[in-house]
Amino acid sequence: MSIQIDHAAKEFGALRVFQDIELEIGEREIVSVVGPSGCGKTTLLRCIDGLVPLTEGEIRVDGKKVVGPPQGVAVVFQHFGLFPWKTVYENVAYGLRLAKAPKQRIADAVPRYIEMVGLDGFEKAYPYQLSGGMQQRTGLARALAIDPHVLLMDEPFAAIDAQTREILQFELLRIWESRPMAMVFVTHSIEEAVLMGDRVVVLRGRPSSIHEVIETGLPRPRTRDVFSSPRFSEVREQVWGLLMHEAEQAERELQEVR
Amino acid sequence: MSAVPQEIALPRTFALSPRLERMLIRVATGVVLLVLWELLVRWLAPAFVARPVTVARALPHVLANHVPPGTPTFWGSAEATVIAAFEGLAIGVIAGVLVGLTMGRLRIADRLLRFYVNAFFAMPIIAMVPVMTLWFGFSSSVRLAIVSLGAFLPICLNVYDGTRSLPTNFVEVAQSYRARWWNVWFGIALPASLPYVLAGFRLAVGRVLVGATVAEYIVSLKGLGYYIVYDGRTFHQPDMMVAVLFLALLGVAINAAADLATRRLLPWYRRSG
Repeated sequence: MSIQIDHAAKEFGALRVFQDIELEIGEREIVSVVGPSGCGKTTLLRCIDGLVPLTEGEIRVDGKKVVGPPQGVAVVFQHFGLFPWKTVYENVAYGLRLAKAPKQRIADAVPRYIEMVGLDGFEKAYPYQLSGGMQQRTGLARALAIDPHVLLMDEPFAAIDAQTREILQFELLRIWESRPMAMVFVTHSIEEAVLMGDRVVVLRGRPSSIHEVIETGLPRPRTRDVFSSPRFSEVREQVWGLLMHEAEQAERELQEVR
Repeated sequence: MSAVPQEIALPRTFALSPRLERMLIRVATGVVLLVLWELLVRWLAPAFVARPVTVARALPHVLANHVPPGTPTFWGSAEATVIAAFEGLAIGVIAGVLVGLTMGRLRIADRLLRFYVNAFFAMPIIAMVPVMTLWFGFSSSVRLAIVSLGAFLPICLNVYDGTRSLPTNFVEVAQSYRARWWNVWFGIALPASLPYVLAGFRLAVGRVLVGATVAEYIVSLKGLGYYIVYDGRTFHQPDMMVAVLFLALLGVAINAAADLATRRLLPWYRRSG
C-alpha cells in the first residue's frame, strides 16, 4: 500500500471538517475523491502531503507516518502555483533543484517531462504567456519531474475550459499508463472522478466522512470509448444519486429554516 | 457609395510620430523655462546671479576643473558624492532586503520593528545630521550613515510590503516540494518582492542624493554639496548651478537605469499578478 489513512479527522478551531476517514491506496491505483464543495476533500489531500496536520488519526505514505511533505510525493494544484518569475523550464526544474539533484539529471529530466506534457518549444516562456491549459501542463511536468510514486491531484483541471480539460484528462491517463503510480484525484466533477478512478470515494455529511467507495470496474487503458460504455453511465448515476440526495437534503433544511 | 467625408481619407501632409511629438513638446517646455529664467534674472536680479547664458559659459572651465588652487574641483566633488551615494544604496539595498524579509516572514520581528522603521521613515533623516556629527565627528562617516539610512528605510518597508502580500499559494507549492525556510525566504519571497524592491530603490535614490548633499553642506565634506555651498558663497553662482544640474541629471540617470534593469531582468513583471 502506498497510502494508508487511519481514522483521520481534521478540525479548524471549532469546525470539524472530516472524521473517521479510513482508506488505503495501492501503488498503482487511482482513487478519485468527490463530495460537495466545502466537504474537506482538498483539506484531506493537504493532510496526505503533510502540508496541514491532522487533528486525529494518522496517515502513512510508504509505511512512514506523515509529519511534513514526504519525499516522492508531488501535488498538482488547482491554482497551478507556477512562479511568475520563472520560465517554464525553471518552473519544471524547481523540485529537482530544491532536492539538489545533480546538474546532469536536471538537464536530462526537465526537457523530457516538458516534452511529455507537450510543451516543447515553450521552455523559455513565462507563465503569463501561457493559456490556463498550458500552465497546468507545466504544473504537471513540475510534479512528474521529481519522479514521484504518489501524485496528489487537487482539482487540477477545475479552472480550465471544458475542451482543454478533456484533452488533459486523457493525456494524464496516457502518462499514467506509461508510468503507473499511486494517485489521489480530488474533483467536484462526478464524470471526471469516474473517468480517472479505479475507485471513487464519496464524501458526505458535516463533518464529512466516507459515505461509499465505488469500484468503477472500467478497463484500462481508458480512451474516449469509456464515455459510451454502460458501466460508465451506471457508476456516474450511482455517484450522482449519492450526492444529489445530500444536495436535496441541504436544500430542504434550508427551506425549513425559512 | 461611401458616406465618409473625403477629407478623412486624405493623407496628412505634416505628420509626426507620437514619440517625436512628445520629445518636441518636452524640449519646447525646457526652452521656454530657460528663456524665462534668463529674462527674469536679467531684469530683476543682481549681475552675479546665475542665468542660463552664464551657466553655459561656466561649463567649460568647470568641467575642465580649472579653478584656483585650494578651491574644490567639480569632478573631485562629483566623485566623492557619487561614490557615497552608491555606497549608501548598496548598504541600504542589502540591509533593507534582509530586514524587510525578516519583518515580512517573522511575526516577532514585525512586532518588534515595524513601528520604529515606520517612525524613522516618516522622519526627515537629515534632521539627524547634527546628532550624527556628535557621534561620528565632522567626517564622511556622517554622510555614509545618512545615505545608508536614507536608502535602507524605503527599501526595507517596500520589501516588507512585498513579502506580506506574497500569495500563500507560492509558499504552499514551495513547501510541498520540501522547501526549507531559507528556500522560501530567498527563493520565493524575495523574487516575488522584486518589483517592490525596485519601487523602494526609486525612493531611495531621491533620499540618498538629498542626504548626501545636505550632509556635505553641514559637515563641509568634499562633495557636490560642499562645492555648491562654496561656489555660492564665493559668488561663483554659474559654477554652482552646474553642480545643481548635475545632481538632477544623476537622479534621473540612476532611475532610468533602474527602469531599464526592470524591463531586462523582470520581463514577467507588469503582465502578471
